[in-house]
Amino acid sequence: MKARLGLGSLESRIYMIFTLMIFVAVFIMQLVSFRFTINALRSSTLENNRTLLGQLVTQIDSYISGMEQISQAVQDDPEIIEYMLNGANSGSPSYLSIQQRLGNYIKARNDISDIIIIGRDGLVITADPDSNLNPWTSVSEKDWYLEAMDAGGQTVVSSSYVQNLVEGRYSWVVSLSREILSVDKNESLGVMLVDLKFNRIKELCQSLVVGRKGYNFIIDSDRNYIFHPTQQLVYSNIRSEPIDSIYALLKNTEDEFFFADKKYFMIETSDITGWFVVSVTHESDIVTDWRYVQISYSLLGLILFLIVGLATNRISSGITKPVRKLQDIMKSVDTGEFRLVGSIRATDEIKELAREYDTMVGHIRNLMEANTREQELKRKSDLKALQAQINPHFLYNTLDSIIWMGEMGQNKEVVLMTSALSKLFRISISKGREIIKITDEIAHVESYLTIQKMRYKDKFEYSIDIDPDLYTHTILKITLQPLVENAIYHGIKEVDHKGLIQITGEELDGNIKLEVVDNGKGMTTEELEELNQNLDTSSNSHQLSQQGMGVRNVHERIQLYFGKEYGLSYISTPGSGTRITVLIPSETLEA
Amino acid sequence: MKNWYLILLSLVAAFILFIALSILYEQKTPEELDLSEPIQIVMKSIEGQPMDFWDVVTQGIDEAAREFGVEVKITGPRYEKEINRQINIMDAVIDERPPIIILAANDYKRLVGSVEKADALGIPVVTMDSGIQSDIPVSFIATDNIDAGNKAGDEMKRLILLNSRKSIAIVSHIKETATAIDREAGVREALLDENVIGTWFCDVEQEKAYLITLELLKDESLGGVVALNEVAALGVARAIDEMDAEGKVFVVGFDSAVRELSYLEEGIIKATVVQRPYNMGYITIKTAVDYLKGNKIETFIDTGSILITRENMFQREYQELLFPVSN
Repeated sequence: MKARLGLGSLESRIYMIFTLMIFVAVFIMQLVSFRFTINALRSSTLENNRTLLGQLVTQIDSYISGMEQISQAVQDDPEIIEYMLNGANSGSPSYLSIQQRLGNYIKARNDISDIIIIGRDGLVITADPDSNLNPWTSVSEKDWYLEAMDAGGQTVVSSSYVQNLVEGRYSWVVSLSREILSVDKNESLGVMLVDLKFNRIKELCQSLVVGRKGYNFIIDSDRNYIFHPTQQLVYSNIRSEPIDSIYALLKNTEDEFFFADKKYFMIETSDITGWFVVSVTHESDIVTDWRYVQISYSLLGLILFLIVGLATNRISSGITKPVRKLQDIMKSVDTGEFRLVGSIRATDEIKELAREYDTMVGHIRNLMEANTREQELKRKSDLKALQAQINPHFLYNTLDSIIWMGEMGQNKEVVLMTSALSKLFRISISKGREIIKITDEIAHVESYLTIQKMRYKDKFEYSIDIDPDLYTHTILKITLQPLVENAIYHGIKEVDHKGLIQITGEELDGNIKLEVVDNGKGMTTEELEELNQNLDTSSNSHQLSQQGMGVRNVHERIQLYFGKEYGLSYISTPGSGTRITVLIPSETLEA
Repeated sequence: MKNWYLILLSLVAAFILFIALSILYEQKTPEELDLSEPIQIVMKSIEGQPMDFWDVVTQGIDEAAREFGVEVKITGPRYEKEINRQINIMDAVIDERPPIIILAANDYKRLVGSVEKADALGIPVVTMDSGIQSDIPVSFIATDNIDAGNKAGDEMKRLILLNSRKSIAIVSHIKETATAIDREAGVREALLDENVIGTWFCDVEQEKAYLITLELLKDESLGGVVALNEVAALGVARAIDEMDAEGKVFVVGFDSAVRELSYLEEGIIKATVVQRPYNMGYITIKTAVDYLKGNKIETFIDTGSILITRENMFQREYQELLFPVSN
């Protein structure tokens, strides 16, 4: 578990990489959708604003054209024309009745501030009977008067301004003025002025706005502001509008709007007035609630991360679990155990890996077995070489004895010894066989004993008492001879009394027990212990005498052939001789 | 719970995503001041005539509040002379712990205590139109009345050259008010070489100004009167109108009441110095918002004044200043 949490583990790496990828992906997705959303929102908002702006202009136009109709009606009023033509002459309508007529036009519309007719000779008629003319102002200096006189009967729409024609009243108006012509159009009778309450336009501009910070304003072609919600700030340069860009946009037919100072500007021209109505939308009103978008995307991210987490967990445990099992099994190699994986639940790659591993382990096992066998064979051949080495001194001494006996003319003895020697060698070789019958082994050791007895001139006697049932059983060749040799050189030779070597053999619990007993010098407990130890530990051979080596070789060979439970054992008492026991399995030679 | 660390990691990743998106949107969303309490504005008086000075200041305030997305709450005594009432209102406003207080002080000295109290509680104060005798307010937004007085004085100096009568009187509205003191100083500075015969106080009563002027008109050498506010100007103009003295005594006034503008058209008042109340209201809120945002602000902002004569009163750029469009 610990290891899995570590940064180096497969699972955490997969998770990290996936999470990072999702993170980047979601973030990029966000950026893209952010742009997309902004553009979509912007175009839909601006579309909306365009519609609103269109409505605004339409309303202004229809408002102005409504006024124009009134002015036309006044223009066409025969009584008014009559009055203006003839003045207050008898028979023509009175000043008051004209004033009343004008008043009737106003009553119908509460958005008309005043209708004023300026006749020739400074005659001024206002619609309001209670108002007095402002004595301090001069009508003929007014822009609307001059422009109307120039327009030749066409309606002139003024900019917004403060009308001060009536005493004590200063009202914001937009004026429609036109020259009144006589019926035959030849004679100028004066100028008629229809003042529209500017508030009406202001209200229109202020009602059709978008968002909290949106607003509309109107400029004319002379760069004057007809209306601006914060006109004073504009005039005192605290605020400014990008007038140049606005006029540039008017000339540019491609773009619908432009963006400046976090605001979107759109323009519509009012055909009747020639005004340019500008709609301003603040950026912050287009993009309202980012927090919502942000939270929803984060939630999406969270869900994706969780899915990635669980998926990673599934994927990596599909990989790591079998890998871990594989790893555990592979670890068994350390202990020398070669376990196989066998069938495993995993992906194909891991299965393949496991199969390859099993094959490999199989090969290794075979190789190791072969190797062990080889080693054994090698050791066996080594031992063979060893056992084949009959002590050369023994051969020289025997031959010397034969020569000496020949010289002495003891022909009978020469024949006996030579035939014994011959037998000894024949059995030693045994056509290279390793296993021989016990009878052969007996013959071998008897030959040896015969020679030695002759050489040592009856220094010892011997007896061989082996159960004849065992004769056909098998034994490693040259098992008894080294033991006898040992008994002679380390037992009998050392004592003065006549020695006796007894060789016995019997079957015991399915094994064959052979014993070589001498009545020689024997061994102390320490010597015995050392000897027994030497048998079992592969040791440095030079510590041992030739005979010692021979005995140990016998022991090793037996164990090598038959197993650890077989071999030699010593029993000895100092002064009374030694008993070597050979234990081998009871086997018969196969045909 | 084998996969607890996955959930934890996912949460952490989602949180980091949230933060990253926050940063992204932060750049896109315009910086807005988010106040839990409205900005409190204590006016000199709240019972004004439509379209008078304070009404227009309020329009400017409302426009700025809309533009900067802040909430404002306007209070004040009914009349300008109710100084104790304004002090009480200040106390009540301080108790509401607003983010900032905007004060148009009715007294130069007596409101200092209230401002100190606000300061002790960590509430910044901005003064407008009329300041107080203290360094505590973070900014003072007003017409530079000395400069305005200069303009009136310069105009009077120009006019008196055309008049054979050379004495000049000053009719002030009230003693011990910063606006009156500054305007008078400005006027006197400009008329240093002229014969200023004295300053009379009308105590913000038109009738008293009228009576003062009637008295002054008995002096045959009187050639000019500078009236330091709207009330004084109306009183002076009325007296001159009634006595038919417009050719003999030239009046330069302050402010732009409708009646005053009529007098201007008639020629009884030769010129009037007007402030920019709309701009004052707007700039005051803008300054307060800037301060709350931690931006650097000026300790004094002059919202400016303009000399209006019959010749320029209907000029496009001054029309709305003089004749605010009613709502």
